[in-house]
Amino acid sequence: MIAVVVLLVAPLLAGGLSLVVRRSTLLHVINLISLGALVTAEFVITRTVLRDGPFTALGQLVYLDALSTFILFIIGAVGLACSFYMRSYMDEQVAQGVIAPTRLNLFFFLFHMFVLAMVVATVANSVGVQWVAIEATTLATTFLIAFWRRRESLEAGWKYLILCSVGISLALFGVVLLYYSSLQVLSDVSQGLNVTQLLPVADRLNPQVLKLAFIFILVGYGTKVGLVPMHSWLPDAYTEAPAPVVAMLAGVLEVVAVYAILRVRMIIDHAVPVDFTGGLLALLGFASFVTATFFILIQHNYKRLFAYSSIEHMGIAMIGFGVGGALGTFGGLFHLLNHGLAKSMAFFAAGNVHRRFHTVEIDHVQGVAIAQPWTAFGLMTSGLALSALPPFAAFASEFQIVAALASQGVPGVGFTGTEGMVTVALSDQFSRVALASVFLVSAVLSFGGLLYRMTGMVWGIPREGIVRGEIWTLGHLPIIFLAGALVGFGFFLPQPLQQLLEQAATILVIQ
Amino acid sequence: MQVLSSIGSQLVNVCSALLLLTCFAIVAQRRLSACVDLFALQSAFLVVTAALVAYLTGNQHIYIAAALTGVIKVIIIPRVLKKIIDRLNVKRELVMYINVQAGLLICGGLVMLAFFISQPIIPLGSLLTRDSLAIALAIVLIGLFTMIARQKAVTQLVGFLVMENGLFLGATAATHGMPLIVELGVFFDVLIAALIAGIYTNRLQDAFDSVDTSRLTALKE
Amino acid sequence: MLEATTLIVAQTTVLLAVSPFLVGLIRKVKARLQLRRGASILQPYADLAKLFKKQPVISTTTSWIFTATPYIVFASTLTAGLLVPTFTSQTPMNFSGNIIALVYLLALGTFFLILAGLDAGSAFGGMGGSREAIVASLTEPAMILSIFAIALTAGSTNLSTVVHKTAVLEGIMTDPSPHLMALAALFIVALAETGRVPVDNPATHLELTMIHEAMVLEYSGRHLALLEWAAGLKLAVFLSLITNVFAPWGIATTVAPAAIGIGLLVYIIKIAVLAVLIGVLECMFAKLRLFRVTDLLGVAFILALLGLLFFYILRS
Repeated sequence: MIAVVVLLVAPLLAGGLSLVVRRSTLLHVINLISLGALVTAEFVITRTVLRDGPFTALGQLVYLDALSTFILFIIGAVGLACSFYMRSYMDEQVAQGVIAPTRLNLFFFLFHMFVLAMVVATVANSVGVQWVAIEATTLATTFLIAFWRRRESLEAGWKYLILCSVGISLALFGVVLLYYSSLQVLSDVSQGLNVTQLLPVADRLNPQVLKLAFIFILVGYGTKVGLVPMHSWLPDAYTEAPAPVVAMLAGVLEVVAVYAILRVRMIIDHAVPVDFTGGLLALLGFASFVTATFFILIQHNYKRLFAYSSIEHMGIAMIGFGVGGALGTFGGLFHLLNHGLAKSMAFFAAGNVHRRFHTVEIDHVQGVAIAQPWTAFGLMTSGLALSALPPFAAFASEFQIVAALASQGVPGVGFTGTEGMVTVALSDQFSRVALASVFLVSAVLSFGGLLYRMTGMVWGIPREGIVRGEIWTLGHLPIIFLAGALVGFGFFLPQPLQQLLEQAATILVIQ
Repeated sequence: MQVLSSIGSQLVNVCSALLLLTCFAIVAQRRLSACVDLFALQSAFLVVTAALVAYLTGNQHIYIAAALTGVIKVIIIPRVLKKIIDRLNVKRELVMYINVQAGLLICGGLVMLAFFISQPIIPLGSLLTRDSLAIALAIVLIGLFTMIARQKAVTQLVGFLVMENGLFLGATAATHGMPLIVELGVFFDVLIAALIAGIYTNRLQDAFDSVDTSRLTALKE
Repeated sequence: MLEATTLIVAQTTVLLAVSPFLVGLIRKVKARLQLRRGASILQPYADLAKLFKKQPVISTTTSWIFTATPYIVFASTLTAGLLVPTFTSQTPMNFSGNIIALVYLLALGTFFLILAGLDAGSAFGGMGGSREAIVASLTEPAMILSIFAIALTAGSTNLSTVVHKTAVLEGIMTDPSPHLMALAALFIVALAETGRVPVDNPATHLELTMIHEAMVLEYSGRHLALLEWAAGLKLAVFLSLITNVFAPWGIATTVAPAAIGIGLLVYIIKIAVLAVLIGVLECMFAKLRLFRVTDLLGVAFILALLGLLFFYILRS
């Protein structure tokens, strides 16, 4: 499979070249070519998967099905948008003397390694290799987050490194347990962590071990996703990192971490009643959703605002996966895509605002519409999309999730039991209505909080001394492109993407 | 043969218990360089355990993992850490969030928790490694606790490495080693993580004149 | 009856003979590590002989306690020694529960030593006594807990049975984790009880640091000899306890002459190794400040507690 090789070699080669190339234009060209190649390879793979179904490549090392292809699509789309944006963003930083031109090499090298690690995490057949790749994303991004080398960025980078490494160590324990369970069943254990080996025998694995493994993996990768209560690194990192890096972190890395959880869940659900994993996912989802909404309401820093919005949307997607069923899972996956696109656009716009206004305080930013019309358009569009208003695609996905929640309820919730002296009889219907209400109230609150802040920033008159007017650059292209995609997907999903999503959802739902 | 495997199983358990004991020593130790020494000692015990398991089960690839542990965790990482400590000129942890006795009691609780959690799944494993999975989990939890309870960046790093040791013990003793490609990847990641954290401590020292992570308070709500 | 008497005489002889040797050995190891030649290993024997020849000087302000203490301390420590298996798993005083008697016989000696320190009315004696009281009150719970942890794993409070069970066991030990925890705790306790670094320094008469030496400062002549010998005996008792409970390999489990011969040889080698280890440790570590001693003993207590808890977890 040439496409698979291209997928892996393009970022590797680009990373290597980035270290030796001197001219910044060339660095950007390499970057664009590499991500372009990635997207092209992705299209080829999509066609193959849709035509022939899942396949393995490179001697069982790579396993691609609709789910991983869909994740690859998000990586490619956001990555490509990022590389356009980086052209104007990084050049301006160099021109202003914020970073030395020589440090661009390091930046691009780490960026490519980051992309490579995410691609490996997505296509790996072995759950163990996937773990290695996800830890590698931590290592590649920590210096990108601390790239400005200010006190705050060092603090953010250190927190990110320590918290994510710890979380991911716990996930490794889960992987060890998964392997432990496969030892009892598989005769040839040298590939005992491969999805292709585990799936056929998944229903014979020991449920006790799998339950324990899932808890560890959920907590571990959940740290990387930024689920409450393992989220404390996330707002700091998103505030301090350069805008293109944040766009990748928020748009893609979170998705890859969610994918890692889903991969393991796919195996575990065969042996453990779906209530168990679904209930846990929904629990963390609700915790993240509600907590993030609260922080959105009290936020005064627009980058942190978007960071908490990320936590919120990952919570929503988790609720979708937790509720499960065809509708919930489809909604969750679709929401991952929509959030990835909208959030990267939001951080592109936020990066532009920060460069012009030199502050992250919402109260100090006014009149973006006058100062930076294109950016204001991006800011407003992403705000509306993140609030899940129609006609944006996020509305469709959130609607699917809440519909699934209201019709199916969260598995495992809705029980009758005795607690102390009082007999708690939480009927199924009551729990569904209650949870759906919590969901809707939180959604409305976060909608209000987000839009209130956005309008405050966009309208009004800019402060004295802020340059007015915006020159069109290559960096604005992704904003327009992403806005178009977000609206477009709301009305009409291209046929291959639709198929990919449906098949991915089918993979995840256990009949 | 029966006697030999029974002695082997007990030796593996003794080694695992020694690993746990060094964990407690690390929690009780205030001097940074002694913490690093204890970590090296723990890794050495880990090498012995892995070699024992490799010998008793005949899995050749565990020898490779054991050798790598020896090189990376007994020699390279402790040396790097010692250099950092020398440069930073910090000798001991003067203030801890939790005092030594309370910390040890908490760790005792964590050990019980680990045994409690792994109780139902232990009978699945082979006789050779009866207690090792539980002990591995306990070491992971104690490493986590060390990272929370200590303020210095170096000791937090040691906590992280202790966690990794626990994971490696779990992988070796309970499952007779992960597939080789995964083992190698994990080693690579750990080594890079330790080096990166080392670079960070230098930068933190330059920026804050301290590696006391309790001073990292610029970012909050 | 004859056999029991023989055993008592044999064990008493072995303990009395071996204890000055241990003291000398530790001093020699320390001297060598400090690049000194050091006194001969046999020097403590000569010291004892010399002290026994000298007349004791007794302060006129002291009561009978001062005169009686050396004999009480010596007798109680020696009796404690008869409860611990040395070269054979059979102990001279073999009764169930002797593990507890051991703790209290040693505590009796400590108690009288503290009283004698106070009795002379000197400032040093009082200071040493109060410090010893702190240390003793902290070591005792740790010691009892670790001994219980061992007793539980062996299913007996009779030391002889404990050792015998482990010695004839196929394999190395029954429950490694509780045993190791208890061993670590007991080792710290042994260092504290016998007044070694990092708790006390037997080689100094510096008023700021001394504990044991402060209490025996007023003694001279044969009284001092008895106290020094008792201190050596206490060391021998602890080392025998540790080696035979945790590593009883080679101990005589029958009364056959060959077995006893091997047992004796192995016993001497084992405690000598431990003594060398203590000597090395004393060179590696500095004495702790008095207020840090509580930390160390707290560690011992918690380790012993964990050993005990481990037993229940593993057996449940």
